[in-house]
Amino acid sequence: MIRLSQSQRSGLVGAALLAAVLVVIGVATLYFGSRYQIRLVYSAYVNLIVVLGLQVFMGNARITNLSHSAFMGIGAYAAALCVTPENIKKISLPAAPWGLADFSLDPVLSAAIAIVITAVLAFLLGLFIVRLTSIGATIVTLAVLVIVHAVFLYRTDIFKGNQAFFGIPQVFDLGWVVGIAILAVVVCRLFRESRWGIQLRASADDEVGAAAMGVQIYKLRLIAWVLGAVILAVAGICYAYFLGTISARPFYFNHVFLTLAMLILGGMRTVTGAVLGTFLISFGLEGVRYLETGPVLLGIDLPEALGLSGIALGAVIVLTMALRPTGIMGNREIETLFVRKTF
Amino acid sequence: MEYVIQQGLNALSFGAEYALLALGLAIVFSIMGLVNFAHGEIIAVGGYTMVAFAALAIGNPVIVMAGAVIAAMLASLTLERVAFRPVRKADPTTGLLTAFGVSIVLQNVFLMFVSPRPIAVTSLYFLDWPIEIAGIRLASLQVFETLTTIVVIVALMLFLRRTVLGLAVRAASLDFEMVRLTGIKANRVFAMAFLISGLLAGLACIFIMARRGSVDPHLGFDPVLKAFVACVVGGFGSLPGAVLGGFLLGAVEVAMLVMLPQSLGGMTDAFVFMIVALILIWRPDGILSPAIEKGDKL
Amino acid sequence: MTPARPLIDEGRASQADRMLTIQDLHVFHGPIEAVHGISLNVERGKCISLLGPNGAGKTSTISAITGIARATGSIRFEDREISADSVEARIASGIAVSPEGRRIFSNLTILENLTLGAALQRDQAEKGRDIDHWFSLFPILAERRDQAAGTLSGGEQQMLAIARALMARPKILLLDEPSLGLAPKIVRQIFDLIGTLKDKGMTILLVEQNATQALKLADYAYLMSSGRIVAHGTADELGKSDKLMAELTGVA
Repeated sequence: MIRLSQSQRSGLVGAALLAAVLVVIGVATLYFGSRYQIRLVYSAYVNLIVVLGLQVFMGNARITNLSHSAFMGIGAYAAALCVTPENIKKISLPAAPWGLADFSLDPVLSAAIAIVITAVLAFLLGLFIVRLTSIGATIVTLAVLVIVHAVFLYRTDIFKGNQAFFGIPQVFDLGWVVGIAILAVVVCRLFRESRWGIQLRASADDEVGAAAMGVQIYKLRLIAWVLGAVILAVAGICYAYFLGTISARPFYFNHVFLTLAMLILGGMRTVTGAVLGTFLISFGLEGVRYLETGPVLLGIDLPEALGLSGIALGAVIVLTMALRPTGIMGNREIETLFVRKTF
Repeated sequence: MEYVIQQGLNALSFGAEYALLALGLAIVFSIMGLVNFAHGEIIAVGGYTMVAFAALAIGNPVIVMAGAVIAAMLASLTLERVAFRPVRKADPTTGLLTAFGVSIVLQNVFLMFVSPRPIAVTSLYFLDWPIEIAGIRLASLQVFETLTTIVVIVALMLFLRRTVLGLAVRAASLDFEMVRLTGIKANRVFAMAFLISGLLAGLACIFIMARRGSVDPHLGFDPVLKAFVACVVGGFGSLPGAVLGGFLLGAVEVAMLVMLPQSLGGMTDAFVFMIVALILIWRPDGILSPAIEKGDKL
Repeated sequence: MTPARPLIDEGRASQADRMLTIQDLHVFHGPIEAVHGISLNVERGKCISLLGPNGAGKTSTISAITGIARATGSIRFEDREISADSVEARIASGIAVSPEGRRIFSNLTILENLTLGAALQRDQAEKGRDIDHWFSLFPILAERRDQAAGTLSGGEQQMLAIARALMARPKILLLDEPSLGLAPKIVRQIFDLIGTLKDKGMTILLVEQNATQALKLADYAYLMSSGRIVAHGTADELGKSDKLMAELTGVA
């Protein structure tokens, strides 16, 4: 029996509250949503898992990561390569090397392999990244993003580049992704409130001081980095297992900025912030996209305004940074709000 | 031998462009720790200014070029006032993310109000013609670009050494508060840094446009990504480092183009970034980084 | 702790002589209040010393005068309230500071440091004369005028910091711990210099932990502890009081 600390127990309360919100949104969509809305909400949940994976490293170590979409891509492609039936791979990847087209595995094993591959890659990269100072580390993560993307584009015999990698069986539905997102929330909260998480956050506030107290900052950063990568791989798998087709484009800069904006708006220091930011931007952007198409509102025929969603996204980042750099939640998790209101 | 010289000159002109842009990033970073990712959009502002001149049927190349540079400088100043002033004292991460946000906003403003597609600008084609010296074939544009960069570096050096404001900019990279304590207005120092940064972006814009002949919302993204890398490699915040990083990156890129087999052509960027990552792992603060002290005062 | 004596010591100076008057000053570092409502006066042409142990709030007080630290209360300089002014405006009105830790621009040459000190000085000829003056006073600075200031020794850096402050031709000079971390011989040189400045009529607010040396120079002194002024008086009065020793050594 693992004994949880006081902060972890209050973390579990917070996680339970967030889980309740996730379940309500999921169930409501499942029963009342159209096919389109289910797809939309599903992708919001996938992005939520991405943002949570991002939060584990960025929120605790406070180093900006720009490579998260690449790790999501690695997870998605690895799982897709394993799970897609041979007969489809023979058609879509006729030139695949190393016998990649000659086998297929069940979804669970495929996911496990994808997670292990992503984790090992993240570990090897992490050995270097965690030793760098903040901007240097950010640049290397940027380099990782560019390199991984270039590999996806270049090895068309394996990844099909910007063309669709199709034929992935649809394994997951909305229920699955809600469950996995809840699991991710719990993991993130438990890590945040664990001794490691607390030490890591302390070292982000005062690196020299924490080191003087015996905090092994590189080790802790590495743990957070790999844990984040695993969660990102899971997000990639959820993405591939629902859509059935993937391509390199969604795992590049646009997605990096989108998910960063979500985390920043909600507040990168807390898991609650990650959840809040993801839903605000997911649903907010959907509204803006509607405006983009030039609808008729209140009898006024609005012009088509391509780019409006991008402007909104950028503005969210700029305004958050200017007015409230720690995001909406700041350092507060959901249960502290609840407690304050109750008493 | 001629081939080597030819490629060396190519590397020089590649490097010159990166050095121009990297200097623009470094001068802002040195005084406020801001990694200005929106620098690329400043270049695009210059490009769209050329489009505007074309639309007004103003073809005089001097006016077009001066207009683009001035527009870039004004845009840079405006960004400082509107977007970066609130995060002036914030940590580098906050600044970096703000700059990302600004960059996204501007790209989409171009997309929304001008066009998502490239617009041709032909007024600067005249800058580019082939020349041949002693059997070495060059583009005139490469020569202009390298010369301009050299002139700019010398001028910048003179400014930073001979004028009070230049001294203040250098001193501010070490201790901004102390600069204020000599009575120099902080706003003037920031404005000057962004003005110079915009000027450099505007000059780079002329060369980029003369070569590409078109502008689209993402015009500046790739060049600035490279310049960013050059800065990091040279040592962020170090002006000599930015120049060194720029030319080094130019050399690496040309070497990649020459040495990588044709089949790996698509991987040039990947290799460039890999080398960058390796340099950073070797020297985490860049090659010519200014010393940074962690911890408390004495 | 006994409260400080009345805020304004009427017997000491007439209103007109006051150059810098601080009343009920509270200084903050972020959410933490470092100075809890102090009041002090600096008269024209006098050397006033602010003594106290580490962490007493002396440097915070200096930072509040220059506008670097957030503060509430009144700061009057030459009969003008400056507490709402920007840092730059306060410097322009005639306040110069040689800060704690010296903070010379180590990446600039010595000459460039001095030039920046006179950043607001419009008259080029005068600037040149001032630089010559300081170089004649400190030959070592003249010798190395084109070297990076970071290569100077601690004592030389302190000289440079003071010279840089004086390049602005200020009406008042704030000196924050000029003797900190220097060898005794150098400390004597620094205090000799301060004495010379005082004799020439410079108004000085001297922050020091080295009470013995500071009291030799000062006309009047304030003793700070834990963000409050716990005693003040002429150098003689304060030098004889037990309080000074108690505060500075921690032995009651």
